[in-house]
Amino acid sequence: MKSVRSLYGVCAVLTACCLLTAVIAALQFFEVAEGLSLNGWTLISLFFLGLLITGIIWLGLDWFSLNIAVSSFIQRFQQDTNEHSTNIQQTLVSEKNLFNALKAPLSKELNEILNKYLFQEQKTKEVLKKQIENLRLKLTLAENQKTNIQAIIFSLRDAVIVIDEYDKLLMANETAGRVLGFDYKKDRHKNLEKVVSDDKKPFVEMLRNSRQSKVEHKKSEIQLHVGGQNRCYDCIISCVRDNQGNVCGVASVLHDISREKEISRQKSGFVGHVSHELKTPLASITAYAEMLMDDEAKDENMQKEFCSVIHNQAQRLNRLIENILNISRIESGLIKIEKIPVSLTILIEEQLGMIRGYAEEKNIKITAQQPIIFDRVYVDKDMISQVIVNLLSNAVKYTPSGGEVRIESEVDENEEIVRVTVSDTGAGIPQKDIEHIFDKFYRVEENKDKAGGTGLGLNLVKTIIESVHGGRVFVYSEVGIGSTFGFELPLCKTSVLESV
Amino acid sequence: MTKPKVLVVDDEIHIIHVVGIKLKNNGFEVFTAENGQQAFEIACQEKPDVIVTDLQMPLVTGLELVEKIRNNAETENIPVIMLTARGFEIEKGQEERLRISRCLSKPFSPKELLKSVEDVMLQKASAERD
Repeated sequence: MKSVRSLYGVCAVLTACCLLTAVIAALQFFEVAEGLSLNGWTLISLFFLGLLITGIIWLGLDWFSLNIAVSSFIQRFQQDTNEHSTNIQQTLVSEKNLFNALKAPLSKELNEILNKYLFQEQKTKEVLKKQIENLRLKLTLAENQKTNIQAIIFSLRDAVIVIDEYDKLLMANETAGRVLGFDYKKDRHKNLEKVVSDDKKPFVEMLRNSRQSKVEHKKSEIQLHVGGQNRCYDCIISCVRDNQGNVCGVASVLHDISREKEISRQKSGFVGHVSHELKTPLASITAYAEMLMDDEAKDENMQKEFCSVIHNQAQRLNRLIENILNISRIESGLIKIEKIPVSLTILIEEQLGMIRGYAEEKNIKITAQQPIIFDRVYVDKDMISQVIVNLLSNAVKYTPSGGEVRIESEVDENEEIVRVTVSDTGAGIPQKDIEHIFDKFYRVEENKDKAGGTGLGLNLVKTIIESVHGGRVFVYSEVGIGSTFGFELPLCKTSVLESV
Repeated sequence: MTKPKVLVVDDEIHIIHVVGIKLKNNGFEVFTAENGQQAFEIACQEKPDVIVTDLQMPLVTGLELVEKIRNNAETENIPVIMLTARGFEIEKGQEERLRISRCLSKPFSPKELLKSVEDVMLQKASAERD
C-alpha cells in the first residue's frame, strides 16, 4: 500500500508541473506575463502539452487504481472461495467420503488398522448376510410348519378349539365346528359363547374356568348333543401362556369316546351275563351233588334224576364255555379248522340228542324234518355242531313252556347249497333289533327278562358260518309269533369227496 | 302241628326242585313259583313264613317282588332270603330298605340255605315274642 501512496505523490507533482506550464503558456499568450518572450505557437503547444501530460497522468492513475481495486476484489473472492472449498472438502472427508479420503497414502500402521477395520467390516457383513439368510430360511420353515400344523389340526377327527383371554375364537377345526355347532371359518375371532348353542355353553364355561384357575392341563368327560345323538367326549383343556408366562388363552381337544364307552358298557354287561350264565348251571350241579352226598335222594329214581340234572347242567355249562372260548379262538386265529365232508342230517340228529333234555325240562316239543337225499357239506364238524346247538338252545330258551321248536334242512340243487332253519314259537324280535341280532354282546332289551344270555351265541354262529365256511346266516321274526334263524352252506363238491 | 311254610321262587326249575326237596325233607311245607308275578299271588294267598327268591327272573325281578310284598299289608313282614348269581347286584341301602334278611350267592349249598331259613324263622319268632 506504501508504493501506491508514493505513486500517487509523484503523479500529483507531475500534474502540478504540467498545470503550471499550461498556466504560464496561457498567461504569455494573453500577454499577462510580459517578461516571457515566446512566440504564440510555442505557448499554445506548451499549454496543450501540459494539459495532455496531466490527462495522461490522471488516466494512468485511474487505470492503476482500478487495477488495484479489481485485483483486491479477485483476491478476496479467491480467498472466500478457497475457504468454502476447504470447508466442503473437510465436510466430505469427515462425513461422507471417508473411504475416498483414506485412499490417500497413509502411514503403514494406519493402513494396517484400516485394513483390519475393512476386513472386520467385510466379515461382519458376511455374518449378517448369513444370519439374514438363516432368518429367511427359518421364516420359510416356520411358515411351512405353520401350514403343516394347520393342515394336521384341520384333518384331525378330534375337535380342536383355541380361544384367547377374551373368549374369542382364535382357531378351530371342522370337527370342532360340527361338534359345537358353529361355522369354523366364518366365526373366527367371534366370542365363542355367542356362536355356540345353549346346550354347549357349559363347555365354554369349562374353558373359562380353566383359564381363570390357570391349571396347566385338565382332563374330564363331557356329554354333548351332536347330530341328534348324545355323544361322550374326553375333553383335555390346556392353558396357553405368553412369553411372560401369563395365561393368554385356552386350547381344548375333544375326543369322541362314545364308541369306547359303549364297548365298555357292553363288556361290563357281558361280564355280568357270563357270571350269571355260568353260575346258574353251576348252582344246580353243586346243589344236586350235595343232595346226593347227603342222601337226600330217597330212592333210586330220585338219585338217577339228580344225576341226570347234574349231567345236563354240566353240558349246558360246557356249551357256554365253548362259545366264549371259540369266539376268542376264531378272532385270534388260534383255532385249528379241520374241514371234512359231513352229512348235515346226521349232524343235526346228533345235536338234537344234546338239546332234547333241555327242551323237555321246559316242556317244549322239538320236531325235525330232514332230506333223505345227498346233503353233504365240507365243514369243520365241531364248529357246525356248535352252530346247530346254539340255534336250537336259543330257540328253546326264548320259547315259553308248551311251545314248539322245529328244525328243517333242504338241499337247493340249483344254487348248490344246503339250507338249515330253526323256527320257534317264542317271543319274537322287534324289527329295530333284527339288524343287530348277530352283533357281539347284543341282546334284545325286551327279551332280557325272558331268559339269560351272553349275547355271544348268535355272533359265534355268524362267525362260523360266514367267516370260516363262506356261508350265509339269516333271520325272520315277528313279535309274539316267533322267529326263524337259519344258515346256508355250499354243497360238498364231488372232487372234494373223491380226494378224501 | 302246622308245618312252617316256605315259598321258593326261581326261573330255574332245577333250583326250585332241589330246594323244595331239601326243605320238605326237613319238615317244611313248600310252595313254588317260576316268576315274581306268580310268587306274589301265592304269597298273598298262602302267607308263607319265609320267602326264598332268586334275584334275576323274567317279568318281575326278585327286587320288584320284595317291593310289592313290602307294600302289601298282608305280606309286608314276611322275611325274605335272596339268591343272587353275581353277588353284587343289591346295594347295601336297598337291602336295608327292603328288609332283606339274608343274601346267598349262587352256587349255594342246600344245607346252608336250610340253615338260613331256620335262622330267619327263629329271628322272626323272637321278634314276634318281643
